[in-house]
Formats: sequence, C-alpha cells, structure tokens
Amino acid sequence: MTEAPLLEIDALRADVAGTEILKGLNLTVRPGEVHAIMGPNGSGKSTLANTLMGNPRYAVTGGEVRFLGETLDGMAPDERARRGLFLAFQYPVAVPGVTVVNFLRQAVNAVRGEEVPVREFRQELFAKMELLKVDRDFARRYLNDGFSGGEKKRAEMLQLAMLQPRMAVLDETDSGLDIDALRTVADGVNALMNENMGLLLITHYQRLLNYIQPQFVHVLIDGRIVRSGGPELAHELEESGYDTIEAAASTA
Amino acid sequence: MTSAPSTAATALTAEASRALGEALGDGASVAALRASGREALDRAAMPSPAIQRPWKYVDPAALELDGFAPLSAATAATSTTAAVDGLTVAGFEEAGEDALGRLGEAVGVDGDRLSALHYAFLQGGVLVQTKANAEIAEPVRFTREFTEAGALATPHTLVVAGANSRLTLIEEYRSGDEPMAVLPAVELLLGPGAVVSYISLHRWGARTRVFAEQRAVTERDAEVRSLSLVTGGRLVKSHITSSLEGRGSSSELYGLSVGGGNEHIDFYTVQDHIAEDTRSDLLFKSALGERSRAVYYGVTKVGLGARRSDANQENRNLLLSRTAKADSDPVLEILTNDVLRVSHGATAGPVDQEELFYIQSRGLTREGAVGLLVRGFLGEPLDRSRLSEGLREEFTTLVEAKLQALGARG
Repeated sequence: MTEAPLLEIDALRADVAGTEILKGLNLTVRPGEVHAIMGPNGSGKSTLANTLMGNPRYAVTGGEVRFLGETLDGMAPDERARRGLFLAFQYPVAVPGVTVVNFLRQAVNAVRGEEVPVREFRQELFAKMELLKVDRDFARRYLNDGFSGGEKKRAEMLQLAMLQPRMAVLDETDSGLDIDALRTVADGVNALMNENMGLLLITHYQRLLNYIQPQFVHVLIDGRIVRSGGPELAHELEESGYDTIEAAASTA
Repeated sequence: MTSAPSTAATALTAEASRALGEALGDGASVAALRASGREALDRAAMPSPAIQRPWKYVDPAALELDGFAPLSAATAATSTTAAVDGLTVAGFEEAGEDALGRLGEAVGVDGDRLSALHYAFLQGGVLVQTKANAEIAEPVRFTREFTEAGALATPHTLVVAGANSRLTLIEEYRSGDEPMAVLPAVELLLGPGAVVSYISLHRWGARTRVFAEQRAVTERDAEVRSLSLVTGGRLVKSHITSSLEGRGSSSELYGLSVGGGNEHIDFYTVQDHIAEDTRSDLLFKSALGERSRAVYYGVTKVGLGARRSDANQENRNLLLSRTAKADSDPVLEILTNDVLRVSHGATAGPVDQEELFYIQSRGLTREGAVGLLVRGFLGEPLDRSRLSEGLREEFTTLVEAKLQALGARG
C-alpha cells in the first residue's frame, strides 16, 4: 500500500566550485512523511538543500533526483517551485523595494498558474499571518530587508504557507531562533503539514525535532547518509555527538 | 589663466544677449543678471574636467554649446495650475520687480561659462511664490517642451516659499528628436518652516544635452524634498545642492534614472549642513541598459557649526547589460565631531545571482524575477519620496515604459 514517492534521491553527487560535496546520497520521501537529515558542519546539508532547489552555483555530477516521478535534472528553480517543491532558506535574501505582500502575490500567481483575485488573496494571507503570529504591517515591509533572524524565518514559513507545496525542505530553520520563535515556527509547520505533503528537515541540532517530530532520521557525514533510523537516532546524536557515528562510519 | 572661448562662429554673443533682453523687455532684476551673464561670457571658461571634480566624466566641450543659437521665440511653460489663494505662478515678464528681487540668490552667475550662458540668454523664467501659511493642496505642475533644432534653451524656475507654507511643484521637461542644448536653473528658497517638494521629470529627446543646476536654501525648520527622474536625453547632467542654513531644517534628495542607448546620466549632489540640528537623506538609483552610463559624485558637508547633524547619502546602480557602466563616488567632509549620524554607501553591479535564485525558487521565471528585482530596486526612491498614489503610479508608468523599450530592443 506504499504510495508513490514524492521525492527520490538516487546516488546523488554534487559539486560546488569544483569541490565534490555530495558523494552518492540516497533518500526517498513519501506523502505524509517527515524526514530529518542531521549532520555536522561541512557534511553537505546546505549543498543538498541548494541542489534540490536547483541553485545554479551547485552542479549535479552524478545520480538523479526525481520529484513526483520526474527527473529534476536540468530543471530551472522556478519550474521546480511550480511543480510543488519548496525550500525554506537558511539565509533568506533581502529584496529592498519589493514588499512581502507584492512578492507573495506574484509567487502565488506563478505557482498556482492563475491570477488569484486580490480579495481572496488578502483573506488567505491574513489567515496565514495569524497562524504564524505575524503582525499585519509585516506585509508592507520590504522582503527580508532589515528583518531580524526570527522575522526572516517567519517570512519563510509564511511563503511556505501561501505556496502550499507538495514537498518542503527546511534548511536550518531553527538556527538563530529563540525558543519562543522556534515554537511558533514549529507550530506553524505542524499546522501546515498534511498527509499529501512531504517534509524534509535539515538541521545540525536535535532541538527543532522536539517540536516537529520526524518519523525518519538520517545522519549525513561527508556527503553520504551513513545511518538511518527513527526519532531515537536524533536523541542518540544529541547525547553522543557526531564523532562516534563519524568514527563508526569511517571504519565501516 | 582663463582661455577666452572662441566666439568666432557662435550665435551666442554679447550682442545677441543684449538684443534678446530688449526684445523681451527685461525688468530691472532680469536685466541686471543678464548683464552680468553677458559680461562673464567673454572671460569665463568652461569648467575643466582636469580640475573640477564634478566634471571628471563630462567634458563640457562635449556639450558643443557654441554650435547652438538662442531660442528664437521664448517657449512659455505650460502650466495646468488654476488660481489658488496664496499662490502666484507667473512668467518673469509679468511677475513684478518685488517678487523677482531674490532672483539669482541660490543660483547666480558663478564664474563659469555655463552660468554666464544661462543668464545671458535667459528666457522662459517662471516664478512660483507662496504666501506665509499657504498650504497649496494640489501640486503645481508645468511642462517645458523644446522643439527648435539647434537651439539653446535656458529655462529658469524660482520658488519663493513663504513661512510655514506647503508646496509641491512638478516640472516636466521634454524635447524633440533634433539636437538641442538646455541649461535649466532651479532656485528653491524656503522660508522658516516651509515644506517644498520639487519634482523634475527629465524626458528629453535622444539628442538633447542638458546641464541643470538646482539649489535649495532653507531657513529655520524648513524642509526641502526633491525627486529627479530621468528617462531620456543624450546627456543629462544635474548639479543638485541643498544648503541647510537654518537650524533644524532638512533636505531629502532622491533620484531615479533608467538609461539606454548611449545615454549619459550624471549627478553631482551637495548636502551642505551649515546650521545645527539639520538632517539630510539622499538616495540616487539608476538602472542601466545597453551602453548607457551613470555618474554619481556627491558630497556631504558638515560644517563646524552644524552640530548634531544627521546625514545619509546612498547611490546604487544596477547594470542591466555588460556594456553599461556606472561610476560612483560619495564623499564626506565633516568638520565637527558632534554629529548624530553621517553615513554613506555606494554600489554598482548586475542583478545579484543569489537574489535571482531566491525569487525563482518561489516560482517566478528568470525574466519575471529580474523584472521584479529591477522594479523593486527603482521603486525605493519613489517610496521614500512620499508621493500621492496618483503620482507614484504615473512615475512608475514612466519608468516601466523605459524599461519595456529597453527590453524590446533586447
């Protein structure tokens, strides 16, 4: 009764600036599943996130990623987004001059492939802002311009909420958040998650996983997944650190 | 050492200036300034790129002014302003001597040939005057359009704002496709507590060369706001100065340009903090396509007496083609240690790839993402200018038309 996978990563290899970072990564995410990829600095977490979304600075050198059964090879980032893939950025870019509301409207229209009537759009936006406990005047500010760390992450979640992707990748969404902000963001993500959607949390620390509970946890070391397990693996990592697993992986 | 300019073949002679004054029937104020302009014609040299920093990238010889002749008939500014209490809008011919007494106070005959030419051949002067406490609700607006091939136009706008008055003035400049030269001067004299917004729309023809001089002088607590929008012209060079002479006065200078073809858009700005507790903000942005070029040189001066000054100066340039070019040089000259803030910044470069990736990752095509970034980039000076919704929309449309023309040419 296994549903068709949303995301299939098959022996993926990727380079940034001529250095190989991902060295044969495998992962499958099905609808309704929450996966966490945990790894130390430099293990390839951000490279994975950027490669999935098609950042042109990252080059796929081997393997394949399929989304909803189709290869993403050579597909532009906007095409990926329109097919239902979403990346919450670790470091969202400031876009002075473009307001949050204007940006979201264009993004929503692009992803849904139709002009959403202004009234309808506004109602939806305000509802989602309430869900994420975001002030209304947030919408009139320039996107990420002068935002605090917490505001940036909330803006990412607001985009996630408005774009309603099939598959969301959250790159270090917990970094730079205090515990209250983390809880708000996590509550928002939990409210948005549904049985048709897949979620991939990329994180260094176990902290986020106390609030968004994954069914599957994977450990990424040096561009490969070296261990996979259930939520207990995250706790193990928290206690023993990456060194033990790293040592085990290198002698394996 | 001043090298006397050759006047052998030029129509811009002292005799021509004298004849023009007689034909126009100059009043005393204009006559006096015309005479000093005329006298300076023979001895004043063009500014030198080698010596004068604001002229580093434009050789005034390139203006080729001596090839032009004075406008044969004064082209009156067409004003759409109805009669309003407390407001005078009048050509210099009918303005009356009392009102013109302050002509030349902010922009005078200052020793170079350009200002000499401006005054020697001055025509089409307009006075805009507000009485004390007059709040002029609707913007005063006029269009200056020049179509005479080979002509030198010298429009002059004198704004005298009474104490605590409010005024928005929009001046729209246009010209035909034939070669023309224009030397506009704009004087903004703000009485105590006056708030004046001055907006200039530079929509010049493709072969028009322009050197515009604008200077505001503020009395106590006055606020001058200025927006320069450039969407056309072969060479459009503007010198814009705010002299904050009154305590607590402020200046907001904003600029926005879109360049294409081989247009050259050049700004020199001065935020001159003279009195205490003065504040200034400046943001000039340009988006440059094809082989166009933008030059920005600006000085924030904080004088010895300008304690507790607050000054910000920013110039940002977006290069939309590999052959477009921007030079940017913001400068601070601070003589007192007691300032609230003095900041400046400058950037020039193509659309940022990480910004593009970010926006594309939300579903917008690459083209759509570039468009959004460019429009956002250019929208910021408009946002800061506190425009009415109608004006905001009108100026956005102007910018849009220029961007589309660039896009259509690829």
